[in-house]
Amino acid sequence: MANDREVLREIWDGKLPICFQLHQEDLMDIQQPDPFYVMVPRLSYFPLVTDKMKRHFLRYISQESADNEMWLDYNGQPLKWHYPIGFLYDLYCGHDPQLPWTLTVHFTKFPENILLHCPNKDIVEAHYMSTVKEADVLKHRGQVMSTMQKKDHNQLWLGLQNDKFDQFWAINRRLMESHGDNEGFKYIPLRIYSDEGICSQRLISPKNNDGSRKVIQQLLSELYPNKPDVKLRTHGILIPSDTPLQWLSEHMSYPDNFLHICLC
Amino acid sequence: MSSITPEEFVHTAKKFIELSDKFFDSWSFHQNDNDILKTYVKKEEFVNHRDEGEKVFLYRAEYIIFYNLSYGVPSFSFNIWNSSGTLLTLEEVRQMSLMKISKEDFYSVITQQEHPVMHRPYFIIHPCNTEKILLYFKHTTKNLIVTFLGLITPLIQLNLPLEYGL
Repeated sequence: MANDREVLREIWDGKLPICFQLHQEDLMDIQQPDPFYVMVPRLSYFPLVTDKMKRHFLRYISQESADNEMWLDYNGQPLKWHYPIGFLYDLYCGHDPQLPWTLTVHFTKFPENILLHCPNKDIVEAHYMSTVKEADVLKHRGQVMSTMQKKDHNQLWLGLQNDKFDQFWAINRRLMESHGDNEGFKYIPLRIYSDEGICSQRLISPKNNDGSRKVIQQLLSELYPNKPDVKLRTHGILIPSDTPLQWLSEHMSYPDNFLHICLC
Repeated sequence: MSSITPEEFVHTAKKFIELSDKFFDSWSFHQNDNDILKTYVKKEEFVNHRDEGEKVFLYRAEYIIFYNLSYGVPSFSFNIWNSSGTLLTLEEVRQMSLMKISKEDFYSVITQQEHPVMHRPYFIIHPCNTEKILLYFKHTTKNLIVTFLGLITPLIQLNLPLEYGL
């Protein structure tokens, strides 16, 4: 059970200052637009927090581009909207923090071989729900999500979308419970990404073969036996090597119920 | 449990490729020696589609069947490009489907996702019902991937030679 409420709250309240700038190629006005500054929740997704920013830049771009799908890049690297914002920041700026985080806004040349299309927020919701479902398959063979009602699913999504901690956790706590006699999930929903943002799938148990709880150090020597110096970063911090995986999953997972971790 | 192991998937995939070769279908086998989970089978082909106005369009399609680790089942993914090299949208794919399916039903079965093996956008058929279907066929089918493809065909135009014995 996710009992350390202070930790949950701290993670939920994490925010990032972002500076959006319009890509010069898309500028169709003699006047340069001001950059757009905004503070966004680390746990959210870009399509949920960029409506105002988009309106700000619309009057500086051509009519034809206005209906195009907007996309973002950092340092020439297109940003995948289907990952939480805080994870993207850790991935690209984790070792060299820069605040505010300066991103470029595009209205043309959508890189469809890299980014998923996101015509509206329903797509974000569908993506979010299917990720929560997958996490539940790993943790409880999908039994918690399938016994929940549609209104519970909605409450999870609305809690995240509207930044309502209590509304979200009233439902999410059920997804964080362990079932059966043994304390712990069947597998830990965990994605570890290399520098290039590539993640390899693995089934990770929260326990060692002898039944003791597995800590980060043990996970690392299991996954990277030849790299003794690797560290893991999430939510802007390096994870202490003695952290138990089960506790990490209950407290430091993103709202999609996955741990998104950068290898460094 | 009706899920299959990665080893079972690789074995089934190899047998499927033998069938494909035998019937002059063009599926190919791709194996990564360092990571069994990156094994997949793939087929590329050109597809003609006649729209309602009887106009014929040419598309290039790519199909990939890979192992979905979380669900422990084979998963079907695809992309379709038009003749100018642009990816079709999900709506365009729906209109090419052999069955008339409502938007809501179609969108709840197929979504665009980052491919867990190819790490690029693909349309992927949701794996959540595959397990139930496999449970039903697992012990009777000659080849699980053939059975699996037979179930997908109404959604996506696939040229499956009859010899597979569907």
